[in-house]
Amino acid sequence: MKSSLIRPALALALAASLAACGGSDKAEFTVAGSVTGLVYDGLVLTNAGVPLKVTPPTAAGAAVRFAFPDKLEYGDTYAVTVATPPAHQNCEPGVPAGGIYANNADTAGRLVTIDIAIVCRINTRSIGGTITGLTGAGLVLANGSTGGSYSAATPETPPSTTPITYALPEVPFNTTYGVTVSKQPAGQICTVANPTGTMGDVAITNINVTCVAA
Amino acid sequence: MKSSYLRASAALACAVVLTACGGDDGQLLLSGTISGVTKPGMILTNNGGSDFEVPVPANGTGLTRFIFPNRISSDDKYDVRVKSTPTNVQECKLFQNTGRAGFDVTTIEIVCTFKTQALTGTVSNLKNDLILVNGSDRVIVPAGATAFTMARVAQDAPYGVSILANPAGQSCTVANGVGTMGPADVNNVTVTCAP
Repeated sequence: MKSSLIRPALALALAASLAACGGSDKAEFTVAGSVTGLVYDGLVLTNAGVPLKVTPPTAAGAAVRFAFPDKLEYGDTYAVTVATPPAHQNCEPGVPAGGIYANNADTAGRLVTIDIAIVCRINTRSIGGTITGLTGAGLVLANGSTGGSYSAATPETPPSTTPITYALPEVPFNTTYGVTVSKQPAGQICTVANPTGTMGDVAITNINVTCVAA
Repeated sequence: MKSSYLRASAALACAVVLTACGGDDGQLLLSGTISGVTKPGMILTNNGGSDFEVPVPANGTGLTRFIFPNRISSDDKYDVRVKSTPTNVQECKLFQNTGRAGFDVTTIEIVCTFKTQALTGTVSNLKNDLILVNGSDRVIVPAGATAFTMARVAQDAPYGVSILANPAGQSCTVANGVGTMGPADVNNVTVTCAP
C-alpha cells in the first residue's frame, strides 16, 4: 500500500519540477516544408490521411511553404506524400539542401524542426511518328536547335517496307516543337507531316516522315 | 625524432595494407553529369591523370552521364578538371568536382555553354501575325514586319525554322530554314506569305 502512495507522489514531484523549468507544454512539432518548381494548380499533399492543398507561388519560380494543421508530439511519426499531382506536373519528395536522402518521412523530434522538401517538375512527353520509304543512309531529324535529334539507322538492302517508328527527346508541357529534316538521306528527299505544335499532356506520334527519290 | 620515425613507418604500413587490398584500382565509381557535349573533344582528367574523353551522346542533346574508366578507392581524393573542350564550347563550370570518396561519386556536375550565333531572316507580304518556331524557341512575327530574329543558336547545333501558325487568311513558306549553325551568323532565312 505504501508504494502505491509513493509512486503518484513521485510523479507529481516530477511534473512540478518540469513545470518549474518551463516544461509546462509538451514539445510540439509542425509538419512543414517547401515545394519547389510548382507552376500549375492541383497539388494535394497528404500526411497520415490528412490532405493539404498547395497552390502555386505568385512569383514564378519561388518556393511555396506548406504546414499541416495538426501538431505532432515528440516521437510521433509522419510521412508526407503526394496525393494528387498538379496539372501537367509531377511532384515527389526531394533531397533538402545539404542532405543526402529525401526527408518526407521521419519521427518528430529527431530534428529540431521538420522541413520537408517536395520537388515538382513539368511533365515531358515524347514526339515522333513513322518514317516511310527510307532507302538512303544519313537521315537526321531535329527538333530545332536544342530539342535533340534523331539519326536513322542505315536501311538494310533491300530496304524494309515496314515504316520505321522514331521518337525524338521528350518535350515539356506547353513548349513548342518543330521537326525538320536536318540532313537528307543519300539520293532521297524526305518531307515531314505535322511538323510543328505545342506540347499538351499526351505524346505526339503523328510527325510522319515520307522519303522519295530525289 | 622518434615520433617522426613512428609516423613514417605507420604510413608505410598503411600503404602496404592499402596496396595489398587493391590500392589505386578501387571499386568506387567516379561519375557525374555533363552538358554541352555535341562533338568529340571533351577531355576530363582526375588528379591531373590520364585523359578521359567523354563519349558524345547519340541523341544530340549534348547532355550525358560520364563515368571515369578507372575506379577509385574509398577515401581517395578526387579532383576532376576539364582539360580541353570541343571547338564549339565557350566555357565550362564545374560543381562538386573535388572531394574525398566515401561512396560511389555520382554528383559531379559540369555545365558547358556553347558559342552562339544569330539566326535571323526576312519576311514578305505579311498581313497578320505569324508564329515561327525553331524547336522550343517561339517567335511571334507581327503583321507588316519585314524581318524577324530567332533565339541565338549554338555553333554546330542544327536549326529548323518552321511555321507553328500561319497568319489569318494567308499561307507562308520558309526557304533556307534548315541547316547546321557554323561559326558565322545565319541571316538568309526567307519567309514568303501569300496571297
